[in-house]
Amino acid sequence: MTINVTNADWNAVAPIIIVAITGLLVLLLDLLSPKNISRYAAILLGAAGMIVAGVVASLAYWSPAYVAFGGAFIQSGFGIVFQLIILIAGIGSLILVRPPVQNERIAGATALMLWGTCGAMLMAGAGNLMVVFLGLELLSLALYCLCGLADRPSSRESALKYLILSSTASGFMLYGMALLFGASGSVAFADLANPALASSALLWVGGGLFLVGIAFKLSLVPFHAWSPDVYEGAPLPVTAFMSVATKAGTLAVFARFMYAALPAGTADRLLLPIWIVAAISMIAGNVGMLAQHDLKRLIAYSGIAQVGYILTALAGGTHLGLRYAIYYLAAYTFMNLGAFAIATTMSGDREEGSHLANYRGYGRRNPVGAALMTFFLLAMAGLPPTAGFLGKILILSSSVGAGYAWLGVVLIIGTAISLYAYAKVVRAMYQRDEHVHAFEGHAPAPLAWASAAICFVVIIVMTFYPYTPSNVLPIVK
Amino acid sequence: MTHHVMGVDGSYPLLLVLWLLPLAGAILAWAFGPQLKTAAGWICSALVGISFICAVAMWGPGTQSVSGALGAHQALFSWLPGFDFGLLMDPLSLLWTLIITGVGFLIHLYSIGYMDGDRAFARFFAYMNFFVFAMLTLVLSDNFVGLLVGWGLVGLASYFLIGFWFFKPSAVAAARKAFVINVAGDVGIMFAIFMIVASVHSTAFGDAFAFAGSYNSGWLLAICVCLFIGAAAKSAQIPLHTWLPDAMEGPTPVSALIHAATMVTAGVYLVARCAPLWSQNHDAQMLVGTIGALTAIAGAILGCAQWDIKRILAYSTMSQIGYMIMGVGVGAYEGGVAHFFTHAFFKAQLFLGSGLIIHALNNEQDVRRMGGLMKKMPFAFIAMLTGVIAISGIPFLGAGFFSKDLVIQGALEHGHPYLYAVGIITAGITAYYMCRLLFVTFFGSYRGDVDPSELGIRHPELAGTPAHGADQAEAEHEGSGHGQAHHAPAWIMNVPVAILIVPTVLIGWLMFGGDNSPWAHFFAQQFPHPQLSPAPIGEGVTGLITFGAVLVGIAVAWWRYATASAQSRAVERLRGESIRMPGILTHAYYFDLALDLLFVRTSQLFGTIFGRFFDPQIIDGAVRESAFSAQWLGTLVRSFQTGLLRAYALLLVVGVAAFMIYYAVIAGGVHP
Repeated sequence: MTINVTNADWNAVAPIIIVAITGLLVLLLDLLSPKNISRYAAILLGAAGMIVAGVVASLAYWSPAYVAFGGAFIQSGFGIVFQLIILIAGIGSLILVRPPVQNERIAGATALMLWGTCGAMLMAGAGNLMVVFLGLELLSLALYCLCGLADRPSSRESALKYLILSSTASGFMLYGMALLFGASGSVAFADLANPALASSALLWVGGGLFLVGIAFKLSLVPFHAWSPDVYEGAPLPVTAFMSVATKAGTLAVFARFMYAALPAGTADRLLLPIWIVAAISMIAGNVGMLAQHDLKRLIAYSGIAQVGYILTALAGGTHLGLRYAIYYLAAYTFMNLGAFAIATTMSGDREEGSHLANYRGYGRRNPVGAALMTFFLLAMAGLPPTAGFLGKILILSSSVGAGYAWLGVVLIIGTAISLYAYAKVVRAMYQRDEHVHAFEGHAPAPLAWASAAICFVVIIVMTFYPYTPSNVLPIVK
Repeated sequence: MTHHVMGVDGSYPLLLVLWLLPLAGAILAWAFGPQLKTAAGWICSALVGISFICAVAMWGPGTQSVSGALGAHQALFSWLPGFDFGLLMDPLSLLWTLIITGVGFLIHLYSIGYMDGDRAFARFFAYMNFFVFAMLTLVLSDNFVGLLVGWGLVGLASYFLIGFWFFKPSAVAAARKAFVINVAGDVGIMFAIFMIVASVHSTAFGDAFAFAGSYNSGWLLAICVCLFIGAAAKSAQIPLHTWLPDAMEGPTPVSALIHAATMVTAGVYLVARCAPLWSQNHDAQMLVGTIGALTAIAGAILGCAQWDIKRILAYSTMSQIGYMIMGVGVGAYEGGVAHFFTHAFFKAQLFLGSGLIIHALNNEQDVRRMGGLMKKMPFAFIAMLTGVIAISGIPFLGAGFFSKDLVIQGALEHGHPYLYAVGIITAGITAYYMCRLLFVTFFGSYRGDVDPSELGIRHPELAGTPAHGADQAEAEHEGSGHGQAHHAPAWIMNVPVAILIVPTVLIGWLMFGGDNSPWAHFFAQQFPHPQLSPAPIGEGVTGLITFGAVLVGIAVAWWRYATASAQSRAVERLRGESIRMPGILTHAYYFDLALDLLFVRTSQLFGTIFGRFFDPQIIDGAVRESAFSAQWLGTLVRSFQTGLLRAYALLLVVGVAAFMIYYAVIAGGVHP
């Protein structure tokens, strides 16, 4: 089989190439400059590259879908929306890079983050299993290094844990892909959607192992145990990136698999375990939040539950459900990035902003920061008037319409539990506590403040002008 | 799905004006307070007054009925399908609007006198106008989300105003408590909205009610319960009532407007607004009716044990709202709403009257230190007397009689004889404690100069009565004048009270005449009217029985506090009563303690236990260290705390195994 590669094929992956080359440029500049490249130069160059990539990607949004490289990569509204979310996550986390990431590592950190973004973007547009795995490993390899970026034991521990557990899960996933290949004789998603395969045992077992990998990357219970530990040890911007980009890329793969690549009549039975673990995650994730003393662990558990909400929107496989899932994912992106931005403004070398104890009395030390943090936490909890509230309402309406009302009920219960956990943090910020000594001041973080402000505005705008993209049905050929 | 809208669509500029004017006032007073000084009070009052006039002018459109659509509907803006926003004025919201702006206007006027000299005079009026705007948002919204926004905003306004004298720690604590309980209620409503949207894909009242019959009954019950959690928190129903007595820390006009006449009746509005939902579910009706009746009698009993004049009124508010909730709960919507209507007048009257006394006595609120005020303050006496007559339900002499009778009789007609009995007994207790308030305050001789310990006031600073902790407040609040019963209230405070006397005495006649009364006509199309079998006891007889209970209450109060011998030994009597008061009453049935144990303590425990269960990391470090570390990957990772890596991997494999068993079973089934 020969594949004719045309210019249009290269255009389809142009955004990814731009991001990848930006990463190389940052390293090159670092090499050429007499000292190390300055932090602002690296960050701004990286962010600029991602913005250009975002513009290039969105130019193609309204053009008809294009299947590039013989089906390996698909350029369509679906992939582009996910790529944009991933780019936003990349930019939003990159500008949070500060100490404890030392200056001599800044170029490497920037480049790795850019290449991790490339990996996730590849996943969003992947048309066959090989590209999925390529993107996934590109993302994961970058993350292993990023997790260990800070010079402290917990960071190294985080990297090692992630490496071991994630490789295990990748192994399962790869085995699943091999079995799927065995079933269809092809790695392309397009060839999986063959009704004849419904009676193939290989499809069921392979699909199941593939979904295990997905569930691990989405950190659904019981495949979640890695995420609190890894999140806690990794530097703040890396945690921010992981909490959004990994999930966005994996959700894109899952949605494409579920919407376009399944033989007719298999979806209900094949995906049932995913809905069950999504339901468990909504409860367990929110319960797990209750006892946390670390913001990153809290967000890890919150993320476990939030992915459950997004899966609730997807359950049933309706077009509307997919649109609402994307809306919620976008809202989730901004509330997470906003919360991490505020945490960054509070942080110095020791990342004080990730310890919840340091939030006691924050409301009086910095009313604006506390108000923003409250807003982001309430958005995660889903209180009005935030996009989180609207997103949950939309998800509920679609899940009931699609016949998955039970997931909606679990969502409501999970939300009820989560309110308490988020409220605990908010309460701590506004508590009068004379015993807390304000920790030492540290360098101002204008970029983080800007990011928090932008996230706030975007969430407000999303609340009152809820645009849910319509051009997003995933295709495989 | 077709879109159902309540009310005749159209453009109603007056509706927009009356809604937005108070917001404009709030912004003005907030932004230009220092420049405006006392003018801020006049401007804000005038804006609420104009709102009231607009509301009156909206009477026609508000009560119109065109082919099934009742009232006026003004679309504001569209959001997603099913999430349109608009204003709806039908008889129910018209009634609330009239009270909010009308009584609100009088209380604003009164506040100009009451808050005179306060350092934050303009800020007070900014908050008050903001409250009026929020409350109008609540009652004029045509959908649940708008209602919830208003619901949250009135809670915020209430928080600001309870804690208005923020230099009093007790006021700050009370404000926070009120806010926390009310947010819990907001969350209840939020969940109800989730469930409604899940069922009908819309938040508009019209859509939610049009499909009321098609809900699954368990689902509908859940919706009603969630809505009622919100209603109970806002309307101080058991067990979410504990914030209301504490809320009396706010200035008296605030207590009159927010914590008596309007905001606390939002729960009544909510249940009445959602009448189509409640009417479909008998269990929900039973629950709400029972909670209402319980609150009515529990509040009344606590009213008998209080010495702080505002706390007596607070418990009476709780009790009277219990009546309203009972009325709307059992399905006697006209009755419940009628009691809201008359209560708004006579309770505002009672609060403003007590404000006259408190103001004149330099913030004294303990009735034991009053007495003999009838001659010194005849106007306040008349104000309180008419209020007491109205709230006690003395036939034909006050407004409360008519509306309370509608509620009590309604309970019987809708098949709740027990609630009927509770209603009658509560009426007797109400008459007792209100007459007790009247007699102790105005009869006998003045006791303000008696040593507090002789009156049984043991720990003035611990008694929880703001009066004694209010020295500082007073210093901030009043710049001039000291001594007892000294500065006569300015005319600006007397005029609103005098105006309120008229409806307090007379407005109940609107409800006279059964099905032919103006009241019944006004609401003829608003509420569902199921066919009921005639009640075993007629309305007239019910009135007589209630009156009998009321007479007993008055007689007991008279015998204990107003006879010549009781008055001559008033000091010893009050002392004896204070000392012998059962702890269960002085501590309000220990609800605060129970809530603390139930929620604060257990949730801490719950968090710890479940946190450990789901998050092995929290397990004690020593255990973790000894059990798992160091063996893994040898020297390479010895310096790391690899923690529970093996446990995590094990969990992962267990998950994979569970998945695989499932798929293997299915694969076995499909294999050809």
